[in-house]
Amino acid sequence: MKAAYLGLEAKRALRNSRFLMFTVVFPVVLYIIDVAAFGKGNVPGTSGVPYTAVLMVSLGAFGAFMAAMNTGARTAVERSVGWQRQLRLTPLKPTGYLVAKAAVGTLVALPPIVLVSLVGLLMEHVHLSAGAWAQAVLGVWVASIPFAVLGLLVGQLATAETMQVFTSGLMIVLGFLGGILIPVQVFPQWLSNISQVLPSYWLAQVGQGSLYGNTDIGKAVLWLAGWTVVFAFLVVRRYQRDSARV
Amino acid sequence: MSETTRGSGYGHQPPGRAEVSAGAAVSLSGLRKHYGEVRAVDGVDLVIAPGEVVALLGPNGAGKSTTVDMLLGLSDPDSGEARIFGQTPHDAVSGGVVGAMLQEGSLLDDATVGETVGMIASLHRKPMPVAEALRRAGVADLSNRRCTKLSGGQKQRVRFAVALVCDPHLLVLDEPTSAMDVGTRREFWQSMKEFTDAGKTVLFATHYLDEAEEFADRVVLMRAGRIIADGSVAEVRSVVSGRTLTAQVPGATVPAMASLPGVRGADVRGERVVLDCADSDATIRALITTYPQAYDIEIRALGLEEAFLALTGDNEGATR
Repeated sequence: MKAAYLGLEAKRALRNSRFLMFTVVFPVVLYIIDVAAFGKGNVPGTSGVPYTAVLMVSLGAFGAFMAAMNTGARTAVERSVGWQRQLRLTPLKPTGYLVAKAAVGTLVALPPIVLVSLVGLLMEHVHLSAGAWAQAVLGVWVASIPFAVLGLLVGQLATAETMQVFTSGLMIVLGFLGGILIPVQVFPQWLSNISQVLPSYWLAQVGQGSLYGNTDIGKAVLWLAGWTVVFAFLVVRRYQRDSARV
Repeated sequence: MSETTRGSGYGHQPPGRAEVSAGAAVSLSGLRKHYGEVRAVDGVDLVIAPGEVVALLGPNGAGKSTTVDMLLGLSDPDSGEARIFGQTPHDAVSGGVVGAMLQEGSLLDDATVGETVGMIASLHRKPMPVAEALRRAGVADLSNRRCTKLSGGQKQRVRFAVALVCDPHLLVLDEPTSAMDVGTRREFWQSMKEFTDAGKTVLFATHYLDEAEEFADRVVLMRAGRIIADGSVAEVRSVVSGRTLTAQVPGATVPAMASLPGVRGADVRGERVVLDCADSDATIRALITTYPQAYDIEIRALGLEEAFLALTGDNEGATR
């Protein structure tokens, strides 16, 4: 019975073509443009890691991050049309709501990673070991879970009108400061210190670390799981309290 | 009027409403909810027997929706408690005992009618088949239609299917027909009939007096967060049949005005007289004969607000 609910939620999320266009096609296009701009050389100071690979994992992570967050944030629309109040009149518990919606957000995060990786493999001829591929695709996918939950938090706090502002702001802050869109190596020390507490930093680390082979997996898991728990706690608390009419 | 016409699925006649029985479909006691200075709900006591169809009637801001929210557990009362078939609102909701159509609720843009109802059904423990809910709500033919492509009346009936799909014993409808024209409203209540004919209980909030009269067995009037009257449809109708007569009458006094034929109540401020009339024809004849200098005479049917006042004799409310 819960599976049927999840299925319908997933179907709804994947149906929105404009949204999919943005989250799936946008990173792919950006990847192809960036490769054309940066060329196919190696990143300086590395042992032969090409730009094509770095950009691939970065933009895959960025796509996953956007898709997960946007899917969650779109619950603001459901809230504002009173659908969430209707859900409260079912046995669905706040944690059940959280898990279902976070699962859908995470599911939607997979296509951009896979697609950017496929373009990397087939068009840009990125060569990675099997382990590195696993980390670049599956690792990044799992690391996108906290962003699905963060998106839900935005959905619980924002209205249908302000949700776009919230998500864009978070994307810019987390995307840049976390080093998904620009490498943290260019940051001054103080900024790089701040960067390391952000969940997006660890998402980027999981992605780029697959190339450099230097990811501190234990630390990444701890930070990402920690943020997931914090966001999830806030979502559940907010869901429990915000039953009034919007 | 209707207690004998409606078959009770519970094997007994609906008890008198004064009996606070454990078998009550709805029991609200001392319910209060304040928002800052505003007393949205200010001490509501209400018992509804299984099988009753009750209209919660009142103007906007009377506290109807807040009462409904507390009954459904969507908001917690500051004091007092709500029970549905003896259970807490939360337990009743979890058990699928109560279904509800909330005010201003809308549907999901990216789902079809069948998916929308199916999603709610999939969350309930013992739902009726989705097709059955759609049929009962009169929208079986719309199952594959996107919710964005529905008319206002169709949307409300889909929302009715959403409320029905948990197969509830009690339906709570918060202004279910506020967006409908008269024809669609009638169709809506027609589809409700199958539910009430099975002896199930309905509580609906409305600000349409005619709707309450037509579809409810019992009418509960609310104003300013309180229940100010509670009676059968016939009782309410008799009150609302009156008229209000206003006029400028030099030398008018309250006793003199109140003693005019057909007058139920009189209010005099200087020359300005407001008469609550059971028989305004008799009143105006006598008024003109006795006070030929009366002018600016106006007679109009009682509005909802005056009906409440007439029913309760609550004069302090006249300034509101």
